[in-house]
Amino acid sequence: MFTRERLIEIYQRSRSGKFMKEVEYDLMLAKRVQELLKEYDIKYDPKNVCPADDAMADRVFQAGLQLLVDVGAYHLDTQRVIKFTKEEILDCLRLAPDTLNLGEGKDMVVAKHRNIEDPNPPLNLTGPAGQACDEEYYLANLTSYAQEPFVDAIESGATLTFNGFDIMAGTLMEVMAVQRDAATAREAVRRVGKPGMHIGDAATGMTAVGKMAASEPINGLRPCDGRLVAQMCELKVDDDQLNRVPHLLNYGSFIINLMTPLTGGVGGGPDGVAVVSVAETLLGVVAYYADYHYLSITHIKRANNSDQWGMYVLAMAGQAMARNSHIVWTCDPFCVSGPVTDELLYEVAQHAVISTVCGYTQHGVGATGGFEPNHHTGLEAGWQGEVGVATANSGITREKANEIALKCLEKYEATFDTPKRGLPFQEAYDLKSLQPIEEWKECYRRVKADLAKWGLQFTEGPWD
Amino acid sequence: MTDATVPKKYAEELAKTLAAGDTAAAVAATEAAIGEGVDPLALIQQTVVPTLTEVGQKFEDLEIFLPELMAAGEAGNACSKVIEDALTKSGGESYTKGTIILGTVKGDIHDIGKNIVGSLFKAHGYKVVDVGKDVTDAKFIEAAEQNNADVIAASALMSITRAGCREIADLLSELDLADKYKFIIGGGSTDQPYADEIGADGYSFTASGAVELVNSLLK
Repeated sequence: MFTRERLIEIYQRSRSGKFMKEVEYDLMLAKRVQELLKEYDIKYDPKNVCPADDAMADRVFQAGLQLLVDVGAYHLDTQRVIKFTKEEILDCLRLAPDTLNLGEGKDMVVAKHRNIEDPNPPLNLTGPAGQACDEEYYLANLTSYAQEPFVDAIESGATLTFNGFDIMAGTLMEVMAVQRDAATAREAVRRVGKPGMHIGDAATGMTAVGKMAASEPINGLRPCDGRLVAQMCELKVDDDQLNRVPHLLNYGSFIINLMTPLTGGVGGGPDGVAVVSVAETLLGVVAYYADYHYLSITHIKRANNSDQWGMYVLAMAGQAMARNSHIVWTCDPFCVSGPVTDELLYEVAQHAVISTVCGYTQHGVGATGGFEPNHHTGLEAGWQGEVGVATANSGITREKANEIALKCLEKYEATFDTPKRGLPFQEAYDLKSLQPIEEWKECYRRVKADLAKWGLQFTEGPWD
Repeated sequence: MTDATVPKKYAEELAKTLAAGDTAAAVAATEAAIGEGVDPLALIQQTVVPTLTEVGQKFEDLEIFLPELMAAGEAGNACSKVIEDALTKSGGESYTKGTIILGTVKGDIHDIGKNIVGSLFKAHGYKVVDVGKDVTDAKFIEAAEQNNADVIAASALMSITRAGCREIADLLSELDLADKYKFIIGGGSTDQPYADEIGADGYSFTASGAVELVNSLLK
């Protein structure tokens, strides 16, 4: 089916599918996930968070595909279920891109599908991951990401105010703030001499109108950039998200399927959430025309994914898609700790190691569970990229990744209930030189030394 | 409070079916108990609320996941309706500790946190009027007026939707209703300083904390 016809078909199904209360859909989905785990013999083992089990990876994929076929997607506005056939989903998956040219000119990078234990290092498409930043520090903050040598693209973050006034979603304040913030992201990449660097989103935009306001080919987001189209937990869409799709198709910009599956949520435990993550990826393929995918696993209480549950979902969903598709797939570490703590760098490192061996391109980084404004810096994002490159270059296997990840976990697990939130950007960096403070660099060196001891072969890094 | 007690066989059956989230069985157990003359108020105070509180605690401790909490909450809602009808018929006293208007603010469609809080409020004996998601300030207040509420609870997950909390606070003040309702906020984009800044009566980081907050505000 051609693009326009398929969009119309999705719209029609969103108006004619089975009417159902949201809670009924949630409980139906939860029940079906548990059934599929038994049918496909998928089991979580907390000691083996990065299983080297190709057969189980294939079963996770099949279970996720079956889940989407069986429960469909829930449309929040119409309260109707949009169903897809297995053949339709697999057809769309076959047509999905395996190679993307992100950005333009000399700053363009080529993102390709990655396989399990792929020797090609992952790109690092990073940024503040939608975390809030005060407008006064916003340009400096984004520049701190763009200047990192192991960063290949940035995502515009989210500001809280416009000229000191609250930004209200769906109003002209949102439109003006997005226009400013997209232009600020462009200025950040210009300042570091990479004017064509891919910009992955304008996260201040919450609504379709806000997201579309970023489209401006000179100073805003260009066709070589991207925008997120999100799913709500779990497998839910709405008109506001779908409205972005024809705009981005027309503008020629990259569509990024954002998923935030909740561990402990409707999908249940990590085994169930791995299956849900596959289903959500396939939904992004079939309903959003996603060019690439962005998995942001979220713990239902702590909003992180640096625990064993998050590690397992990351590993199994990644391997399932790596073995059974050719798509470009990204994921982000969401951590409980904040900048200028060793813990944040261990949280990021375990994620970078697992994601690299499980077929992902990297995205990130969320610090403090996203709870503390300004508590995010370029250093941890660059560190993620550096660990990813070292992991691929060192030939790390899934077994070794499991070992390293659990060693990292020992360094921060005890802080889950009392996280070290660290320092905000304006205290973690010298705002004139845009260099991290010495204490933050020391954290980097300490953690890097540990990771090297555990088997990663690093080249020279920016803060050695 | 009532001095009546719930016979063990009814209490056990209702608690078991409620905790399992089996709505049909829980409603049947409730109807059977009321049919046999069990005091509806005792049923809610001695069985429904403690059982749902225990389920809520298990979720807080991550011994169970969201679907189990949701299923138990749905079963609890259905039983509460049967009990409320029985109380209305008998002209008995209401069991609710207070009425809470609950929703996510304008522009915010993320409601899982709100739903968890709602389940825990109900588990602790509050009547919850869920006004849904993406709700304007005027609708929060209209619901409060219509339901003779005690508390307005607003959730905002995303950073640029939290301004919706300020709009509610401002409208409450403008309409001289700030003293009539306790206004509390929560969600990922809010914190205590923001609650203080907009003049909210309280903020909670967690769902269980929100219950404690309302308990203390309505003392």
